[in-house]
Amino acid sequence: MTDKRTLEISEDLVQAIEDHLSELSAGSVSEYVEALLRTALTEAGYLAPYSAEEEAEVERRLRDLGYID
Amino acid sequence: MSRLALIGLDCADPDLLRDLLPQLPTLSALVEEGSFGRLRSVDPPITIPAWMSMMTGVDPGKFGVYGFRNRADYSYTGLRIATSAAFRAETVWDVLGRHGLRSILLGIPGTYPPKPVRGLLVSGFLAPGTDSAYTYPAALRDEISRVVGEYILDVRGFRTDDKPWLIEELRRMTERRFALARHLVMHHDWDFFGMVEIGTDRIHHGLWSHYDKAHRKYDPTSPFHDAIPAYYRLIDSEIARLLDAMPADTRVLIVSDHGAQRMEGGIGINEWLIQEGYLTLRDYPDKPTRMGELIEAGLVDWSRTVAWGEGGYYGRVFLNVAGREPEGIVPPGDYDRVRAELAAAIAAIPDEDEKPIGTRVLRPEELYSEVNGIPPDLFVYFGDLRWRSIGTIGWNRIHFHENDTGPDDANHAPYGILISRPGDTKTGRSLLEIKGMILEHFGLKEEE
Repeated sequence: MTDKRTLEISEDLVQAIEDHLSELSAGSVSEYVEALLRTALTEAGYLAPYSAEEEAEVERRLRDLGYID
Repeated sequence: MSRLALIGLDCADPDLLRDLLPQLPTLSALVEEGSFGRLRSVDPPITIPAWMSMMTGVDPGKFGVYGFRNRADYSYTGLRIATSAAFRAETVWDVLGRHGLRSILLGIPGTYPPKPVRGLLVSGFLAPGTDSAYTYPAALRDEISRVVGEYILDVRGFRTDDKPWLIEELRRMTERRFALARHLVMHHDWDFFGMVEIGTDRIHHGLWSHYDKAHRKYDPTSPFHDAIPAYYRLIDSEIARLLDAMPADTRVLIVSDHGAQRMEGGIGINEWLIQEGYLTLRDYPDKPTRMGELIEAGLVDWSRTVAWGEGGYYGRVFLNVAGREPEGIVPPGDYDRVRAELAAAIAAIPDEDEKPIGTRVLRPEELYSEVNGIPPDLFVYFGDLRWRSIGTIGWNRIHFHENDTGPDDANHAPYGILISRPGDTKTGRSLLEIKGMILEHFGLKEEE
């Protein structure tokens, strides 16, 4: 979890998300937009899915589990 | 239209389950009212990519995901963990969501980081921890804490000789996951429920030799002969409670991503490559050392290395090709010949008594119709997966009867399970068909 900053977003987008919050399973516009951006940036390779420490820890677990050595 | 619940038991093996069914009233009833068959896994039959292949109907070749870690480039050190971002295909819950149907997803490997879903998603064991953003929506994390306290993604340190500790940890983890599952299906809307319990895999690896009388480590005086059956009885009772929390007409699928079999031992793939002159080190380590560490330390003489390997439940061999790898030496024109020669030699590696072990060596293009990403040049199923691949170097030997990373009794097998209620009319299913089965239940079809 990281610190938050306030951004501006177009009203029509906010309205569309608010109108469908239930279908989008999100508690708020911010929560949905953040999840969407996190997915898009990770898939594009601009955001690492793990921090360096997390990646090292997951690799250590995979080694312990026998999946890698 | 009735709902559909898919309960995944990682590594559940059809032969083992058939042996245990008389002790499992819930699963026995499902089999009696429905059907029970083998489910062909993908190649390689490994948790990652198998579960996401099941959920998308897409094979590992098309994903370019050949295991937990994959080459991101042709450097010698560019192995990256496969996360949800690697599985770029429409999941069954994506399709259901587009048609207005809601899903609850719990513990499915390959779903971290979580992507938005019409419903709820709790990532599988590759989430770094429960302090990470491992759910969608994010607020679900707090609800989980309120319901089960500390949610256990996986048993930490399962490679242990402290079997009572392992058995207790598995029980705690499984009870909490099923408690959460019951809470979610009772308090949230859903049409499709999909979960994976990873504990079945962990108990197989940790305690198979205490159950399988044919295992070379089997000890008739072991106090843990009943550990695996007892764990399956726990699973059976938890499934009963979960199904009780669902409408009675819910369609039920109990599936696994691959099976299990006793592990006979390990083959030191890199030790063998060194012995045969395919891999050259500048300095042989004085203690067992991971190949990655040797590469990073500059101890591999790439100018005299034709191939190197990676360990795991199956072996991966990479050729050092001129113009492809940074210091490649195999001329591209010799690639097919060298690879064929190497494959034949690896397939012929015997056990320590010079008896053949039935190793299968496969090329990616014979496994998949489409090969993306950077696959290993050779997939190696030592002893048809009865032996694992040992990648570490420094042992001065090739054959092992213990793993290089701790006690492990079992390896994977190519067939998992499929229990269906109502019964499935088709036999000989592949896990690539499961997505289609689910969509068909909801009156939908897979799109091209």
